[in-house]
Amino acid sequence: MRGIAAVFYRDYRQRMTNIAFVFWDMFVPLAYLALFGSGFQQIVAPSFQVGGQSIGYTAFLLPGVLGMITFTVAMNTSWGFFMDKDSGIFYELLTYPITRPQILIGKIGFNVLLSLMGAALTIALGGLVMDVPVRWVTLPATVVVVAVTTAGWFFLFSVLAIRLNRMDSFNTVTSAAYILLMLVSSMFYPVTDMPGWFRAIAWINPMTWQVDALRYTLFGIGASTTVLLESAAFVLFTIVCLAFAASALNRAD
Amino acid sequence: MSAIVVKDLQKVYRSGAATPVHALNGVSFEAPAGSIFGLLGPNGAGKSTLVKILGTITTPTQGQAAVMGFDVVKQPLEARRRMAVVLQQTAAETLLTVRDNLLIYAYLHGLSGREALRRMEEIVDEFDLRSKLRETVQELSLGTKRRIQVAKIFMLDSPVIILDEATTGMDPLMKRHVMDRLRQEARKGRTVLLTTQVLSEAEELCDTIMILNGGKTLASGTLQDLRKLSKQMFRVNLSVAEAREDLDELLRALGPAELKVEGVTAEMLFLGEEAALLGRLAELARAVTITQFEVRGPNLEEIFVKLVKDA
Repeated sequence: MRGIAAVFYRDYRQRMTNIAFVFWDMFVPLAYLALFGSGFQQIVAPSFQVGGQSIGYTAFLLPGVLGMITFTVAMNTSWGFFMDKDSGIFYELLTYPITRPQILIGKIGFNVLLSLMGAALTIALGGLVMDVPVRWVTLPATVVVVAVTTAGWFFLFSVLAIRLNRMDSFNTVTSAAYILLMLVSSMFYPVTDMPGWFRAIAWINPMTWQVDALRYTLFGIGASTTVLLESAAFVLFTIVCLAFAASALNRAD
Repeated sequence: MSAIVVKDLQKVYRSGAATPVHALNGVSFEAPAGSIFGLLGPNGAGKSTLVKILGTITTPTQGQAAVMGFDVVKQPLEARRRMAVVLQQTAAETLLTVRDNLLIYAYLHGLSGREALRRMEEIVDEFDLRSKLRETVQELSLGTKRRIQVAKIFMLDSPVIILDEATTGMDPLMKRHVMDRLRQEARKGRTVLLTTQVLSEAEELCDTIMILNGGKTLASGTLQDLRKLSKQMFRVNLSVAEAREDLDELLRALGPAELKVEGVTAEMLFLGEEAALLGRLAELARAVTITQFEVRGPNLEEIFVKLVKDA
C-alpha cells in the first residue's frame, strides 16, 4: 500500500503544479452540460421517452458528461507518461521497489478524486440548478461507477502512452478514440432508436456500458439485468487494460 | 558472497524487418559484496543494456542475472528492493521542487515521512542542495539535476548501487566527492556497479573492471590483471641534462611506437620485451646524460584503447 500511496502523492504534487489544467478537466464537461444540454433541450423537446421513462435532454446528457469527465481525466493522466519520459524519470521509476500495477493504480488514484470532484460539480449543477431529477439515494453507486471507469480508461490509454514514442501519435489516437467512442455510444442519443449497425457497435463500446450504468444509478433508467451485464463487462475491460498496461511497463524499453 | 551475478547474458533487439541487434552476447561476471565493479566500453558496447536488465527495466533474451540472490526476471520486486539505480539519462521530476524530488524518491523506496525527512536533511548539505530546496528542478542546470539524481541514492541503504555514467555533467569537485562517497559506501559493505567512459575514474575507484565491446566481454579482472594483458607495452618518461638538437633523432633510433619531445623532456611508448627496452635505454644513457627516468606499465586508457582496437 505504501508504494501506491507514494505514487498517489507524486501524482498529486505534479497535478497541483498546473491548476489551470485541472480546472480545464472540470470546466469543459460542465460547459457541455450547461450549453449543449440546455440548448438541445430547447430544440428537441422538453422531454422524451427512454426505456419507458420520460426524461429531459439535459438529464439524458448528464451521465454522458460524467463519462466525458472520466475520459478526459484518464487521457490527461496517461499523457503524463510522456512528461515522465521527457524528464527521464519514467525509466528510473521502473527500477523502484514497487510493482507495475502499483505504479498504475497509484497514478490513477489522485485522478479518480479529480473525476469525482468533477462528477460532484456536474451532478450539483444538474440536480440543483438545472432541475435534473437526480436519485440522490443511489449516489454512492454513481461514485463507484465514476471511480472504476476513470481507472478503466486510464489503463487503456496508458498502454498507448507507454508503447508510443511520439506524443503527437498519442494525441491523434486518443482524440480519434474520444470522438468515435463518444459518438457511437449512448452518450448523446438513445441507442435503441439508432440503425442496426450503429446499435451493434454501440453495444460493444465500453462508453455505452459506462453511460448506461451512470444513467441507471442517477435516474433509474434502463433494465437492471442489462446494466449489470454492462457493468461487469466494464470491470472486466478495466482488469484486462490494467494487465496490458502493466505488461507494457514490463516491456517499456 | 556475490552481490551481483550475471551468467551468459544475451539481449537481442528486434525491430520489424531490420537486422536484429545483439546488444549483449554472452556476458558473465560476479561482483562480490562490498566491491566496486566497473563496466567500461565504447558507445554501443552494451553497458546501458546491462544496467537496464539489472535494473529490471528490460528482460534478457537469454541468460540470468541476480541481485543479492534474487533473479531480476523471476523476482524483480525483491531485486529492486535491494538496489538503487542511477541511469545514464538525467532523471528528475522537473515540475517539482528539489525537496519534493528527494522526499518522493524516499517515499517510493518505502521510507516513512519522518525517515525521509531525516535522510533528506543529511544529504542536502553534503550535495550543496539546501539553497535550492524550494526551486523547481526545471529551473536548475544539468549539473545540478545530475547532482540531485545521484544524491537520492545516498538517502537509501540498499545493498547494491548501480550507476550508469552517473558523474557525467558534474563539476570536478562534486565528482570527486561522489567518488569518495562511493568508496565509503563500499567499505560499509555496499556493492557498487558503475559504468563509465572516464577511464581515470574507473582506474581510481574500481576493484574489478570489465571491458565490453559490441556486447561481448573483451577483458575482465583487477587493474593488475588487465595490465598483464598489455604487458608488452611501456610508457617511458625521461629528462636529459641539456637540450640537444639531435635528441629527437637519438630517441627515434630506439624505435618507440610513440614519441613526444619537448625541450629536455621526452615521452615515449614502447611495444616489446621489457629487457630489450632497458638495453636500448642503457645505450642511450651512454650518449646522453639522463637526469630523470620513469618506466611504467599502461594505464587503463591505454589498455582499453589497445583491447578495443585489437578486437
